[in-house]
Amino acid sequence: MTEKLFHAIINLSRDEALKVTDELLQSNVNPDDILDAARDAMQIIGERFETGEYFLPELMVSGDILAAVADKVKPLLEGEGGTEKIGIVVFGTVAGDIHDIAKDIVVFMLEVNGFEVIDLGVDVPIEKFVEAVQEHEAKIVGLSGFLTLAIEPMRDTIAALKEAGLEDVKVMIGGGPINGLVCDDTGADAWGPTAMDAVSIAKEWAGVSA
Amino acid sequence: MTDNKDKAPLMQIELDYQAREKRVWDAIHLEKPDRVPIVCYDEYFSLKQGGLTPADAYYDPKRASKVFAENVTKFNWDMVSIFGNLPGKVGETIGLTSNRWAGYNLADTQEFQFVEKEYMLGDEYDQFLSDPSDFIIRKMWPRMADGLDAFGLFPSFTMFSHAYAPISDLAMLLGQPEVREMLKKLILIGEQMNEHIAGVDQAVEALKEKGLPVFAEVPAHAPFDWISDYFRGIKGTMLDMYYQPDKLKAAINMITPHMIEYTIGTAKEMGVPYVSIPLHRGADPFMSNKQYAEFYWPSLKELLLALIDAEITPMPYWEGSYTNRLEFLTELPPGKIWGHFDVVDIEKAKKLLGDTMCFWGNVPVQTLISGTPEQTSDYVKKLIDTFGDNGGLIIDGAAGIPKEAKLENVITMTETVFEYGVY
Repeated sequence: MTEKLFHAIINLSRDEALKVTDELLQSNVNPDDILDAARDAMQIIGERFETGEYFLPELMVSGDILAAVADKVKPLLEGEGGTEKIGIVVFGTVAGDIHDIAKDIVVFMLEVNGFEVIDLGVDVPIEKFVEAVQEHEAKIVGLSGFLTLAIEPMRDTIAALKEAGLEDVKVMIGGGPINGLVCDDTGADAWGPTAMDAVSIAKEWAGVSA
Repeated sequence: MTDNKDKAPLMQIELDYQAREKRVWDAIHLEKPDRVPIVCYDEYFSLKQGGLTPADAYYDPKRASKVFAENVTKFNWDMVSIFGNLPGKVGETIGLTSNRWAGYNLADTQEFQFVEKEYMLGDEYDQFLSDPSDFIIRKMWPRMADGLDAFGLFPSFTMFSHAYAPISDLAMLLGQPEVREMLKKLILIGEQMNEHIAGVDQAVEALKEKGLPVFAEVPAHAPFDWISDYFRGIKGTMLDMYYQPDKLKAAINMITPHMIEYTIGTAKEMGVPYVSIPLHRGADPFMSNKQYAEFYWPSLKELLLALIDAEITPMPYWEGSYTNRLEFLTELPPGKIWGHFDVVDIEKAKKLLGDTMCFWGNVPVQTLISGTPEQTSDYVKKLIDTFGDNGGLIIDGAAGIPKEAKLENVITMTETVFEYGVY
């Protein structure tokens, strides 16, 4: 029964998705099943983004539809719901940089691939990364940056994590100015040019086959 | 000093200036100059070499001018941009919230950043389309700057059209304390701006005296970017492409003739034969080619062709990855566009655009920042090998010269051109 919702989302039809969600709720379909169908649809959206069939507008629209569906369904959820997470990633755009688009794409792709993401937002002070890693006992950190000015705070954030004794935490970096040269320069463990690279790296580090 | 002593070097400087300009224009027109020109966007790199920060450019343009001119001339480039964007004091006076900048609410060492949000909401297109200026002044300005809040008190500007308006409605409005407070600020920002411009002009003059042409930036935008950057934000625009595509297109079509008229007018008034057009949302990852063709390209192409018609050379900065869009750019007339490339497949660019557009930029910022002189030199040579055959090449960093670049890499970039780029 949730098939219709799945198709409405992957076809980016907001009105249809919301109408079907209402129908499903009225026929007492388990809210968890509704959300699962929505998540499955997001997985497809992610794949289509990766293969170049979908672009940023489709990610934004599907994210918007998902949020609207979740708004209807979440009040009816009994527990936390959802599937078991495969790992926790602390993620943010580094200090001084306020760009969120690339970060949001990566967060989106990590979430649809089963990670719990602690999204710290943009212009994140170094100590906030350290605190979040300690609080959530995360083993993976993602640092995003759009401008060349992000390189220095990336280097400083990575150094601060090591200084705080979090040496077993792995750090991946990405964004406009990043490549292998910059990765070595900052002391990061890995970098990637696309959101799917972030997923592969995180999966490898979480010990899940990519 | 005697007159005679002065004359010889002055003449030489004038000749150097002319030679540099000619070198650049030859390359733009796809004619071989004597050597590959080097034209750099240098916002803060040279300032940093002289020990200054972006904050100095925002708050002490006189000093920044002096230091910039002293340092940028050491590199022997053919043309440079000039530092700085906004006068910090103006932004503070007006309570600007749509930007963050060094020396105010960013660290002294950082570039300015635009605070993107929906300055026009998704359900406000009709208001904007029915009376754009009114909407911008009364609705958008208060959202962008606390000091412009009082414009929100004004009635629709259309209603100021009756014969008594100046001595009745308008005068009453100007009597209100909030409005008077705002007017004081408006007077002040005008003074602060004049002071800032006088400071920046000193750099232009100092460079001219040293024989180095400056490209004054008359900026224009792709109409799609104008709406996306400043009105709706990236998320808003991307949702509009699905939820209200006709309204988005109507806004783009409305802006386009204004953009053309304003840009040509400003360039002519300043006597500047080129217009810089930093492009944002048309890069490869942002949308499909189909969406680019539908939403982005038509109005940008219209702008570019209108500028060319007015004998102004457009300087689009194809920011981000642009490989997928190269086919579109082949629709442009040859030798008329001065395009700056960031990240692009250079073989494909040569193949598709080699006879259309001079290739400028593209030395990776990562190499300039984290690479070695050898890697820098190798890349510059690769560009010369790829594009040099017909003269259509100008060297610069992919995003200009970032202030974080290593000095030795920048020097090597320049020296490589002098050694390897002579035709």
